[in-house]
Amino acid sequence: MHFFTSFAKRPFLLLFTVLILSLIFVLSIANNAVLETDLDEYMPKTHPAFMASDKAESLFGIKDAILIVVEHPEGIYNSGTIEKIDAITVALQEEFDAIESVTSLTTADNIKSDDGFLEVEPFYSGKTSQAAISQMQAEVEANPMIYGRNVSKDGTATLIIAELNNDIDADVLQTWVTQWEGPEKLMVAGRPVVEGALAELGPKDMAIMFPLVIITMIILLFLLLRSVRDTVLNMVIVLFGTLVSFGLMTLLNIPIYAVDTMIPVMLIAIGVAYGIHMHNTIHHFMRSYPDLSKEELATLSLKQMVRPIIMTAITTAIGFVALMSSQVLPVRYFGLFAAIGVLSEMLLALLLFPASIYLLGKPKYKKAKADFETQREKGTLSDTLQALLLHRPKMIVFISIAVLIIGVWGTSKVWIDTSFLANFEEDSTIAQTDQFVNSNFGGTSTLNIILNGDEPDLFKHPEVLLAMDSMQEDLEKDPIVGNTLSLATFIKQMNQVMLEHEDGSYSIPDSQELVSQYLLLYEFSGDPETLEQVVDYEYTSANITVQLKSDSSAVLKDILAVVDYYRPVFAEHAIEITYAGSGYKAFIFSELLLEGQIISLAISFAIIIILLALMFKNLRIGVVGTVPIAITAVVNFGVMGLLGIPLSSATALITSIAIGIGVDYAIHFLEHYTNERLGGSSLEQATRSTLRHTGRAIIFNAIAVMGGFAILMFSVFPPNRQVGALIVLNMATSALGTLTILVVLVHYLEKKHVFLPKRILDNNTRSFS
Amino acid sequence: MRTHTTKRLSVLTLLITFVLLTVSAATPSGSEIMWEVYNRDSGETMSANLIMTITNARGAVRERSIAQYRMDKDGVESKLMFFLSPSDVRNTSFLSFSYEDGRSDDQYIYLPAIKRVKRIASTSKNDSFMGSDFTYDDMGSRHPDLDVHKVLRKETIDGVSTLVVESIAKGDEDYPRTLSWIVDGQWFGLKKEFYLPDGTRGRTLTIDSYEEIDGIYVITDMTMRNLEGNTSTRIRMEDVEFNLDFNDNFFSERQMKIGPRR
Repeated sequence: MHFFTSFAKRPFLLLFTVLILSLIFVLSIANNAVLETDLDEYMPKTHPAFMASDKAESLFGIKDAILIVVEHPEGIYNSGTIEKIDAITVALQEEFDAIESVTSLTTADNIKSDDGFLEVEPFYSGKTSQAAISQMQAEVEANPMIYGRNVSKDGTATLIIAELNNDIDADVLQTWVTQWEGPEKLMVAGRPVVEGALAELGPKDMAIMFPLVIITMIILLFLLLRSVRDTVLNMVIVLFGTLVSFGLMTLLNIPIYAVDTMIPVMLIAIGVAYGIHMHNTIHHFMRSYPDLSKEELATLSLKQMVRPIIMTAITTAIGFVALMSSQVLPVRYFGLFAAIGVLSEMLLALLLFPASIYLLGKPKYKKAKADFETQREKGTLSDTLQALLLHRPKMIVFISIAVLIIGVWGTSKVWIDTSFLANFEEDSTIAQTDQFVNSNFGGTSTLNIILNGDEPDLFKHPEVLLAMDSMQEDLEKDPIVGNTLSLATFIKQMNQVMLEHEDGSYSIPDSQELVSQYLLLYEFSGDPETLEQVVDYEYTSANITVQLKSDSSAVLKDILAVVDYYRPVFAEHAIEITYAGSGYKAFIFSELLLEGQIISLAISFAIIIILLALMFKNLRIGVVGTVPIAITAVVNFGVMGLLGIPLSSATALITSIAIGIGVDYAIHFLEHYTNERLGGSSLEQATRSTLRHTGRAIIFNAIAVMGGFAILMFSVFPPNRQVGALIVLNMATSALGTLTILVVLVHYLEKKHVFLPKRILDNNTRSFS
Repeated sequence: MRTHTTKRLSVLTLLITFVLLTVSAATPSGSEIMWEVYNRDSGETMSANLIMTITNARGAVRERSIAQYRMDKDGVESKLMFFLSPSDVRNTSFLSFSYEDGRSDDQYIYLPAIKRVKRIASTSKNDSFMGSDFTYDDMGSRHPDLDVHKVLRKETIDGVSTLVVESIAKGDEDYPRTLSWIVDGQWFGLKKEFYLPDGTRGRTLTIDSYEEIDGIYVITDMTMRNLEGNTSTRIRMEDVEFNLDFNDNFFSERQMKIGPRR
């Protein structure tokens, strides 16, 4: 308290300090800011699932791949298109260092029978005469390992698969591909493309939307506060908070991760509240005691607000700090720096408003008449509200319970899902290409099922191969599975060819010798490296590649359930099942993220209850104070469930933060109310005064934040729309919950004389902490 | 018309070669050396056990032993090979006939698990020999006319005097340039380097031991390293015998099913 009053008395020193700090942070951001878009950097690399995946990826050469679709409406089987495919295949490998290998129709090998000969030869002979191409078409259509997988069944499109050993700039590739257009149409798909676009689009869109949010907020603040000065102060506070957060991040050489683009959004929503409450209190004193001196006004308003503002800042910061329990490094940084931003906003709000009084004199709130009218109107509004609350408490309780029941019912319908693709509009190029690939080929997403045994030659056992085959068959029953490929697939194809396509020959032979001899034969006549993608050198581990037509984590879970069913079967052969691939890692990652957020949500709830209880020296107040945010959480999840918005790491993040913000309303209400009561007001008087005074600030705050973030709902980027919508929803619920059910509950407890014990009511002095 | 020109050209080439040969009689030309290598006596018939050790990029190893029989007769090279180990492919056999007149090879495989002989597609000289780092070309002898040869220098390897011959392929090859270290006077290679089209070294062949058996030099231990794929194959030869008596039916489908001689 002393710190704030004495510092606020030196406004020039304060301004100087803020300016110098801002300058340092701006310079640091300008010089050191590095945007980290590589999703791998988010992954907790020491997690067992990740380590198993990395090991298998290196053993079987599993790599992320970019898919280039070559489509010719009249069919790809013509010399021009085939030659073009060949040229692209060669050029990709030569021109991009990040591309490890390229597989296309002109490089793929065929296992075929030709008058009883076993041949493993490329489909493409290098000849493009009509006869050669027709033969190639016939061979493609006879081999299920490529037909419908790399070549569309109607013969109008094929895939060129570029495996990456490094990240590639998807934009550069998109542009590069256009030079090959005509008459063929070329499209680029695959996880690296989607991730790249996502990592770029999110921050880019936020950069466009953010100034719009700020402008809207400025307009709303000005309309609500009717003071240029206080609007400016508010914006200085929120921008300074953002600056501190990013400035420190860059000073410490921590890269800016995509999730950090949420920080400015959060800090604006939070910081505005501190300024509005300061404004509101100063405004209140000015109206009640117009004759106060500058110094008295500054000291009084500071004295009244220092406790609730520090408390609200701490509870919010705790919501963020709780994120540091996450296993995901960027989320931990996000929590830390957002908390730092919140605390600096709090400091600045407490300093800047009193300092402005010292520097610029008492604020002359303009349009005093209009303001008075508004005030009276608000007064009547709050009086009406009070009347409603006090006379119809049962109705409020009933409505609240009804909302809760609907919320819980909706929550039960919430489904957990993370999908990179869901972030794109259905008519966007990325979503459309993905759709095209999924309907014509195996699918854009890949899951690798890794079978680990320890006995050499284990995967030559017919029983093991049969189990693999039957699992693959079960997996393929799911329409979301495009196809599967494993050693069993190779063996079946070889058996069919060797038995000259006799009935039932597309199957696993029942002798290990035969399997071994087929494999030997394949090794001799084919490219032995192809086999190394499905089985290791000693035949102790195998890789089943499952192509999926969706990257949704919910879909992946269904697939994993089918695999789990086979665990005991493989366990009989001492084979363990693990998974690999970037799709699986992203799945584990989002599960971890979600789990972390739900844990941190629980942690912040518990800490908020304890803090409130300590602050008001009463556990019941602690519990009652969290009722509005509990309702907020239930409504949030309920609405998500009812509207079919999946719970993803992003939406869970917003929820946990909204709750940290929402509790502030309850703190302000309870603080003012208990102060009134301690000041000797009656129950009704205290309620009226609190609703008039704090209620106004809460509504102003909610309107400004909701208005600002409503702008995000017009974003072209769906995830940013969800962020906007959820913030608006949560702000509204928190404000409404605080001003209705919290008031009713406090009243009820007061009547039972359990809310503020006589002991506390007797003790009129309270220390500021 | 074209044939005529070609003929005249070859005559010209021969003349020039002849002139050059007389001039540099002291050191044989690259082409001479490679012809010597090509024509070196390797015995009309031979049998041996091959132990092939293939190491992949991760250091995992597959070992196979193969009994091999060879006969050169009437312009046909007949080869019969039986797998001795690993046990699950034991008695799998290969039969091949290569024709000097340029006809493509005939190849057969016998899989004991289905007790059937299959004819398999003829392999290209550049194909991997039994899934190893050796090609069929490496296992046989490459015709000298396929390349242009040049002696670069003399070099001594482990006290053995060698001539380093550079061979540039006339046609399109995976390794258009090779360097061979040929033992002066004995006409077998001690070392060979294979260069990729971009000029980098793609493979190296090293000879770790050789023996003179019945007056014929036999390489008994050699290793091919693929520097691109980081894989290697070592082939050891045991129980080498020359001048064997194969009856007329030995290189046959019937023998494939019967198994090795011993």
